[in-house]
Amino acid sequence: MDAHIKKVYVPMTETGFYILLCLRTPNHGYGIIQRVEAMTDGEIRLAPGTMYGSLSKMEKDGLIEFVQEQDKRKIYQITKLGEEVLSLEMKRIKRLYRSVKEAEQ
Amino acid sequence: MSTFKKEFRYFTIFDYEKEQDYLSQMHEHGWKFTTVYFPGIYCFEACQPEKVVYQLDYNQDGLAHKDEYLQIFRDCGWEYLMDFVGYSYFRKPAAEMKEDEGIFCDDESRLDMMKRIFRGRMVPLLVIFLVVLIPQLMRQLADNAWTQGTFRSSLFWFYLGLTVVYLIFFIRFALHYLQFKNRHR
Repeated sequence: MDAHIKKVYVPMTETGFYILLCLRTPNHGYGIIQRVEAMTDGEIRLAPGTMYGSLSKMEKDGLIEFVQEQDKRKIYQITKLGEEVLSLEMKRIKRLYRSVKEAEQ
Repeated sequence: MSTFKKEFRYFTIFDYEKEQDYLSQMHEHGWKFTTVYFPGIYCFEACQPEKVVYQLDYNQDGLAHKDEYLQIFRDCGWEYLMDFVGYSYFRKPAAEMKEDEGIFCDDESRLDMMKRIFRGRMVPLLVIFLVVLIPQLMRQLADNAWTQGTFRSSLFWFYLGLTVVYLIFFIRFALHYLQFKNRHR
């Protein structure tokens, strides 16, 4: 993983995290928005400008790849590099979560 | 009473937030935005006063892949209106929103849009500034052009004026960028 990817994506935005998390199964932008809304009980509602911008940025950086088009919607899936970035981020969040738990005890 | 109305408004390329507010206010007063054309003539049609959120995006990649780009906005309930000088115009009635909603949901993507405006609009200007304006001005300064004949001296003042306009433009952009960064820290 090169320095640019690390600098831009570790740590990453909530939007970026949910995109990678959801794209372990192929999906399109609006599909991700709906899934995230369901996963977070409506607390996180991603917006289309943010989604479109993030998807094109992540595709350019090789974190996700285009699979096929369906009714004018581009379907993407995560790449190997994307998986690596996601697992780094998950590790970081788990560490944060442990610290939160410890602080609460 | 007329059912159409035109207004002249000048917004710079950094004033898209003001432009959005202006269009929302017009709609709330019963004037629905229909189109805008050069140099800033905004056209409206009489309508039922309503709270409607207007949003502008600047995304050249989106314009190049228009079908997918517009589809995701449509899926999210945003009506696409038109493109004007690189900006795409969208609107959505507030009644269809659960809470305050925009086409961006985090500051990172708002800043990304500003960077796209910078790359698309400011970089070409900066190149002209550095490659054409500054060398011209330096040459004329070296020749004492302002003392020589009407044509040479008016050319000198023209370049000087243009340089000042450019400088004001760049400073405004820098201030706008810094203000945004501070506001969202």
